[in-house]
Amino acid sequence: MIAVRTKSARRTAVALAAVGALLGLAACSDSGGAQDRDTILIGISLPLTGDFSEPGKGVQNGYEIWRDEINANGGLLGKQVELKILDDQSNADRVVADYEALITQDKVDLIFGPFSSRLVLPSARVAEEYDMLFVEPAGAAQPIFEAGYKNLFYAAPAVADDHYNYLYEHLMSLPEADRPKTAAYASMDDPLAMGAANGLKAKLEAAGVETLVDEIYPPNTTDFSGIAAQLASADADLLVGGTQYQDAVNMILAVRQLGYQPRMAAFTTAPTLAEFVEAIGAENVDGIMAPTGYSPATDYEGNANFVKMVQEKNGREPSEDEANAYTVGQVVKAAVEAVGCAEQGECQQKLVDWLHANEVPTIVGTLGWDEAGRPNGAHFIQQYVDGKPEIVLPVDQATAEFLVTKPAW
Amino acid sequence: MSSALLLQSLILGILLGGLYALLAAGLTLYFGVMRVVMIAHSAFLILAGYLAWFFNVKTGLDPLISLVITVPLFFGIGVAVQRLLMTRLKPATLTMMSVLLTFAIALVIEGMLGFTFTGVQRRIRLDYGASSIQVLGAQVAVVKLVAFGLAALALFALWLVLKKTSFGQALRATIQHKEAAELVGVDTAKVASYGFGLGLATAAVGGTALALDATIYPSLHWHWIGPLFAIIVVGGLGSIPGAAIAAMLLGITQSLLQVPLGTTWAQTVFYIALFVTLIVRPQGFFGGRLAQRF
Repeated sequence: MIAVRTKSARRTAVALAAVGALLGLAACSDSGGAQDRDTILIGISLPLTGDFSEPGKGVQNGYEIWRDEINANGGLLGKQVELKILDDQSNADRVVADYEALITQDKVDLIFGPFSSRLVLPSARVAEEYDMLFVEPAGAAQPIFEAGYKNLFYAAPAVADDHYNYLYEHLMSLPEADRPKTAAYASMDDPLAMGAANGLKAKLEAAGVETLVDEIYPPNTTDFSGIAAQLASADADLLVGGTQYQDAVNMILAVRQLGYQPRMAAFTTAPTLAEFVEAIGAENVDGIMAPTGYSPATDYEGNANFVKMVQEKNGREPSEDEANAYTVGQVVKAAVEAVGCAEQGECQQKLVDWLHANEVPTIVGTLGWDEAGRPNGAHFIQQYVDGKPEIVLPVDQATAEFLVTKPAW
Repeated sequence: MSSALLLQSLILGILLGGLYALLAAGLTLYFGVMRVVMIAHSAFLILAGYLAWFFNVKTGLDPLISLVITVPLFFGIGVAVQRLLMTRLKPATLTMMSVLLTFAIALVIEGMLGFTFTGVQRRIRLDYGASSIQVLGAQVAVVKLVAFGLAALALFALWLVLKKTSFGQALRATIQHKEAAELVGVDTAKVASYGFGLGLATAAVGGTALALDATIYPSLHWHWIGPLFAIIVVGGLGSIPGAAIAAMLLGITQSLLQVPLGTTWAQTVFYIALFVTLIVRPQGFFGGRLAQRF
């Protein structure tokens, strides 16, 4: 009896000691963060797999190109820049966990935003909680700016609702015969995709263009037969897809299978990615429009050099996602260099205040923001002409003429 | 819903049902022959889809040609899995343990696919991917017809094997009553392993057919395993004709519901049918004497 009690008491004591040692070790390893670093560590969570993997990888490339350039030119505030990029698998819960880990465990000096409004929305909350500056490349949807975040800045020309403004104005300026009378909308249940499509829908409906189909489908939908059947049956003049990437490809394939030929077609995101032409076929893309916040042809600050770097690294022109990511880098760099610090704590609030009070010249134009982080510009309208993406609106920045009727796909 | 849309949905439903029939036939075969719940069946479907896509990307040839490699390969894998893994399970808890074992196999397949091909969604790019022909006034995609044709051919081949060959007769005998088959002289161990291989061979064909007109990603198999199990329960576990009839019925219903309810809600038809079957007639509706009695 007594022997058993002693043995179990000893076992308990050993267990407690082990737990205590582990806790001690954990506490020790936690504190070895920011103070010992001689680089500036920037924490980022991106969707490298899942729904958003194509644009997610584009954003990663943009961030990396910005880092390579800045390190080659002496670094930021004299220190080399290091990026720590985690994969959140396009999942909103993971992106929150990732940023929490980056801020509290890795003690990063700065954070850059993730891709897609859907992931920006929850991660902006994390940034706000920890009082971190949050410049993001891809959160353009209305809910983000209505959430009351004070540290958030969107590094692109315009918010989702205003993406299609130039297209709307141009459609209204066309002669009566060329204007679309009916429209069909199919959007992913995603704040950006829906936001852009709904912004256009609201304006067109007010101008008398009849909405024949208005479908919303969950993210990760791959089967579009039901939606395609409705679109084909309605046969609207204008097809507007509130899409990301794979869903746009699948939707276009599905409506082509049913022989639906809209006279005009516009999709968000997908047509701005290089893979789109391969997936749909170069002979089928002409006339497809997309709002884009970036054009390689402009002469905005640093753009010529940026295009050259991407050309050297990847052998092609930059995509919009890469450009947005690079812009985030430009914006943060401007703030850091003006304020003179890059670390957690009071520094972050100084960076936020500086950005609210100043404008930054970037590769997408000079950006300034309101108190909610909305930028004050407008998106270009891109259209495929002869298998190549061209800027068609606004007319004064156009590289090709607007195709009024989309060739058959 | 207009009559044109209705006809369209009906035809699509028949094509879909045919494909489901092939996918479910293999699944019910495992249970019939060995009382094994093969959760990894849909993972093998997706694996076949990936192999077809990879074949198309690397060689530029039509993915259907990959069947020449995948069908014998999957048959061999099926025989190996049965002989090396399934036979190690104790007969008393076979069905329950097979759930765990095949679940693990499914996870391994998903992991390997993700590791090899990453999680990016893939789609086979076919020249005839967007072509369609008129069938009874409805526009039908060529790829869906090809998938249906492939499924019909495979099911016909399966029927020939089961009805016209001595192996098929031995297989049906094993499904019907294992002990009786043994008494009559059937080598049920060998039959079971070949039966398993046959089931996976149908997965090779089914997965390739599926990949012709679908977007594939490593975790897609979870999307399929629910509806497929619902189909074989409604059809009667172990009965291939039962699975085929249930597949056709549920496929047509799903397709008809897709336009008014949307893709997500239309999928619930499988689960509603499953619940109704388990409550009203647990041995399934179309299985006849071959179906497992509960």
